[in-house]
Amino acid sequence: MSNILTNIIFLPLFIAVILGVLRAPLKLLKVGAFFSSILVLLLVVFVIIDFDPKGNMQLITYLPWIQSAGIFYYIGVDALSLVVLTLIVLLMPPLYLYMYHEKRKGYWYNMMILQTGVTGAVLSLDLMLFYLFWETMLLPIFIMIGMYGSGMHQYNSMKITLMTILGSMSMLFSILYIGYIYFETYGIWSFSLDKLSLLSFNPQTSLWLTAGFLLAFVIKIPLVGFHTWMAPAYGSAPTPAVVIMSSIMAKLGIYGIWRFGFTLFEETLLFYTPFIITIALIGLLYYAIRAVSENNLRRMFAYSSGSHLSLIALGLFVNNIYAWGGSLYFIATHALASAGMFIMIGLTYQRFRTLDINSLGGIAQKAPLFTFFFAFFALSIAGIPGTGGFVAELLIIIGAFKENFILGFLTSFTMLSAMIYIFWMLQRVLFGQPNNSTPFADLNIKETLMLLPLVILLILTGVVPSLFTPYFEPYLTQLLGVAS
Amino acid sequence: MSPDLFYLLVSLLFSIGLVGLLSRKNLFVIYMSIELMLSSVNLLLATLSKVLGDANGSVMALLIIAIIAAEAALFLAMIIHLYKEIRTIDADEFNQLSEAEQC
Amino acid sequence: MLNIIVILPFLSAFIMAVVYLSNTKPQRYFFYTLIGVGSPTIITILSLLSAYELLNGAPTIHTTLLTWINIGEFNIDISFMADKLSVVMISFITFIATFIHIYAAGYMKDDEAYGKFFSYFNLFIGSMLLLVLADNPIMMFIGWELVGLSSYLLIGFYHTESQNITAANKAFILNRVGDFGFIMGIALLFVSLEGTGFTFSSIKENISLIPLDTLNLIGIFLFVGAMGKSAQIPLYVWLPDAMAGPTPVSALIHAATMVTAGVYMVARYSFIYEELPDVGLFIAYIGAFSALLAAIIASYQSDIKKILAYSTMSQLGYMFIAVGLGAYSSGIFHVFTHAFFKALLFMGAGGIIIALHHEQNIFKMGGLKKQLKLVYITMFIATLAISGIPPFAGFFSKDAILMTTYASEHYLIWIMATFTAGLTAFYMFRLFFSVFHATPKEPLSVHSLDKSITYPLIVLAFGSATAGFLGVNAAYGGDALINNFLALPDRLTHISHSTEYLLGGLNVLLALSGMLLAYKMFAATANEPIENTFFSKLIINKFYVDEFYVMLIVKPIHLSSHLIANFIDPKIIDGFISIQINTYTKVAVLFSKLQNGQVRYYALYILTGLSLMSCYMIYKLGVI
Repeated sequence: MSNILTNIIFLPLFIAVILGVLRAPLKLLKVGAFFSSILVLLLVVFVIIDFDPKGNMQLITYLPWIQSAGIFYYIGVDALSLVVLTLIVLLMPPLYLYMYHEKRKGYWYNMMILQTGVTGAVLSLDLMLFYLFWETMLLPIFIMIGMYGSGMHQYNSMKITLMTILGSMSMLFSILYIGYIYFETYGIWSFSLDKLSLLSFNPQTSLWLTAGFLLAFVIKIPLVGFHTWMAPAYGSAPTPAVVIMSSIMAKLGIYGIWRFGFTLFEETLLFYTPFIITIALIGLLYYAIRAVSENNLRRMFAYSSGSHLSLIALGLFVNNIYAWGGSLYFIATHALASAGMFIMIGLTYQRFRTLDINSLGGIAQKAPLFTFFFAFFALSIAGIPGTGGFVAELLIIIGAFKENFILGFLTSFTMLSAMIYIFWMLQRVLFGQPNNSTPFADLNIKETLMLLPLVILLILTGVVPSLFTPYFEPYLTQLLGVAS
Repeated sequence: MSPDLFYLLVSLLFSIGLVGLLSRKNLFVIYMSIELMLSSVNLLLATLSKVLGDANGSVMALLIIAIIAAEAALFLAMIIHLYKEIRTIDADEFNQLSEAEQC
Repeated sequence: MLNIIVILPFLSAFIMAVVYLSNTKPQRYFFYTLIGVGSPTIITILSLLSAYELLNGAPTIHTTLLTWINIGEFNIDISFMADKLSVVMISFITFIATFIHIYAAGYMKDDEAYGKFFSYFNLFIGSMLLLVLADNPIMMFIGWELVGLSSYLLIGFYHTESQNITAANKAFILNRVGDFGFIMGIALLFVSLEGTGFTFSSIKENISLIPLDTLNLIGIFLFVGAMGKSAQIPLYVWLPDAMAGPTPVSALIHAATMVTAGVYMVARYSFIYEELPDVGLFIAYIGAFSALLAAIIASYQSDIKKILAYSTMSQLGYMFIAVGLGAYSSGIFHVFTHAFFKALLFMGAGGIIIALHHEQNIFKMGGLKKQLKLVYITMFIATLAISGIPPFAGFFSKDAILMTTYASEHYLIWIMATFTAGLTAFYMFRLFFSVFHATPKEPLSVHSLDKSITYPLIVLAFGSATAGFLGVNAAYGGDALINNFLALPDRLTHISHSTEYLLGGLNVLLALSGMLLAYKMFAATANEPIENTFFSKLIINKFYVDEFYVMLIVKPIHLSSHLIANFIDPKIIDGFISIQINTYTKVAVLFSKLQNGQVRYYALYILTGLSLMSCYMIYKLGVI
């Protein structure tokens, strides 16, 4: 039981390695991958059952790794990482189901390695370990876009890789320098988060170090100005990679700021707050407006995702319980909704072989069930009450109003921003007369079953948020208490 | 006899070799220039051995003469081989490693 | 009981949706009708029961279903409250809704998506009841938004026509603009009252804690929500387009229930608005202008449903005049009576449309009084009611509002409202005479109507004729039952009975003259209005407000989107990145020139390097 987190992280990788060594046939590979995701899901359920919402870091594993450099294998889970962890493991099985017809073996291996990368990044508490996983998750994405993508996929995969590596490098520099400061202060090297949080930096250094971290996270999210990799990468990545990028990796940017930013540079972040809030507010509308003229479905929802992530980042930098609760809740619900949406888009592509909005249309006549799911996910991205997104947006708006009136007013534009493009998109994609004579099959049972959990979760998060809030509310209160 | 004269000769020989190396295109001339530079260094070694009264220098010089002989055999053989392959002994023609043109 | 009232329609909507989606082909007419009409029937009975309870002096009913959310001080329950106001609302909403459901069962009988329709319809009823019965602003807002959503679904019900979806989008987006205001009002309200609880009763108790200028903002923001939902200036443009939906939808949503949510909301927050007479006046002016504008436009329309839509907007204007001037119970009373006759008008119009094979232009109809006798009689009652002819329902409620405007001494509002009353009679009878009396231009083939379509008309006609008696003023010998029952914080007005008779007489006179004018112009032959003068052109084109919005809002958004797509993203942001990449590449080209593959150059580099090293050593180490 004490190694449960380690198992959660490395089980997919382990299974991937075994299958790889055995040169497993495709069928076994599929079963193995799916099996691993289910197994991990079960393990996480155990973690959730045992989880104490009032406690701090739990299930800590602290083992020496590279002792001379003070690098430890240091992992643990708290409310924050539990939310993201749950998301990851919830999304993997539907994705494997989605990939059911995929014949290229590399695809499956990449997904398993990716899972290890993201779960590792969420759970690690040692900066060096975090950096390792942070880069680990980039590699499969690079391969998946580069090898299995569409369009200008090689160019786009280079673009995303170079831009994120730029961020990673600046973060690595900051990490090393923090370690060095620790070494100067205490005479030994250490990269453990709890030890480093004891350090106090001089303001000038701290400013640069924070900038180093922020750059990595802000590119990953991405906020406006750091976003040009996003639409091309989303546009040419295969659907599972898009889902992981939008639902998990982007959220890891937010998570990173929360975990490392607020632990290490509480005060310096205050300096950056007006800046981040401004670009987040700009991003909220900028992406939404950009999405209006986008004719590729996947790219449109890339911008949509950017818009909502800006809102999450905004909530994160408004220091009160409502905005934080809203942000954390939005991380979860937006991940579910956008995963559903991107899967629907993938299914559209499988049927029509095109994602150009103008050549779609009239789907509602041919496939009611498909229409229902498509519209449901689109509307839940738009934040319709009864889905989790609404609760989150409401909380963030309240938090913003608590901060000050102007901020509240500007944040409320989130009510309108998604409207602008989603409804016009629905009209052109689902309704009207078909522009495309390709026969359109409705969802089959397998596809319905893969989407149903997402729908149920979205409705549950919207109708009874009180089922979920107890898991993170005490933690946030405590965090805010420490902060003030 | 002052060693300065020898030093001057060494410098002279080395410079001639260097200029030959840089300015001529013919592989044989380049080869001869290299030999000239090598000989000048050899002469320096011998001179210093005499001046400092240390036999090591002379030993080294003798050793180098032996190596030069071996090297000459190898070098000439390679030039002939190259000539057989590409029908030229112009050094500027051998630029397959150039980076400039591929860009 | 309240829990069941709210949950039942959601549940039936869900069941029908699942059954429909699981296999869309079989019709299952009986099943859908049973569930779709059964659930509103049950909730009508339950609503009337709870109304009866309150009538007998029971205190406000509170029920809690479950805890919705718990974060910080934000403790919201899914809980319902039935006080006198909401009980009145749910009684007539469920009552009328049931009959519209029965009507729809006949009207939509042959539609392929019959099950889908009833699923949406029940979803709508559930949302509306959630809105009305909510115990706290958040639940109310959820109902508010869901009402908008179901209206979107229903307007776009005939989804194969792209323009219907455009209408649905327009409705939803403009509603969302209203919600944008509404949510700001709620958030501000919550933040100002943080920690004192967030139910209507606790807000009412602590309202004095909020400074007046914040309260002003809250009042205005909340009203922005009402503007959107109740189609007032400047957010009204969606309502006429919303007629793209099936007629039962227009009857239910765009006449009787959803659009009155704004009025209900102002009455629900009457404890705020009574502190804010200035905001109230603003609301009244918006109402007055909307009423007048809509009436003018309605007089020039030729689509039967659009005329009714504008008339709805006009009547909603009256309601806002009332609640703005502090006569909350008069406003609600008008909501109540209006629901009957407007639903009836729409259902009658729907009957006519069906009978004439989906013809909607009133000038292509005519002489229908023989063929559609029942529709004729019931529509006549409804038209009299809306025109304010005593003793039909509309007279009493409209008269009460007009009296309030007079007593408030804002005579401009009074003049506009009274003039609109005359205009109402004119355009309603214009419709009536053109459809039923005028000689048709070409012979019409008329369908016979289903019983499920005609019988609800009779019930509602009875309602339209008698609903007004519940609120007869003291001046006319009644004792304003409904006003006394509602017990809202009405601003008191003093006005003598003789003035009241005078005003009432004036209104009836105006209405009769409007009726007469319409008779003269349209009873014999009805001709479509033509765009010959500047004014008629302006009015027929609805004052070009749609075009104005397109130019002012839609175009700039598209333009800036293209600007971002074609300039800012690729040129500025990516441009900034590519400058660095290009520099990098150029430097690399420069360096690659050095490696030209020629041995002699390499020798030169070696020499240069060696010389530099030697110089350095000589200089630094001091060899010389």
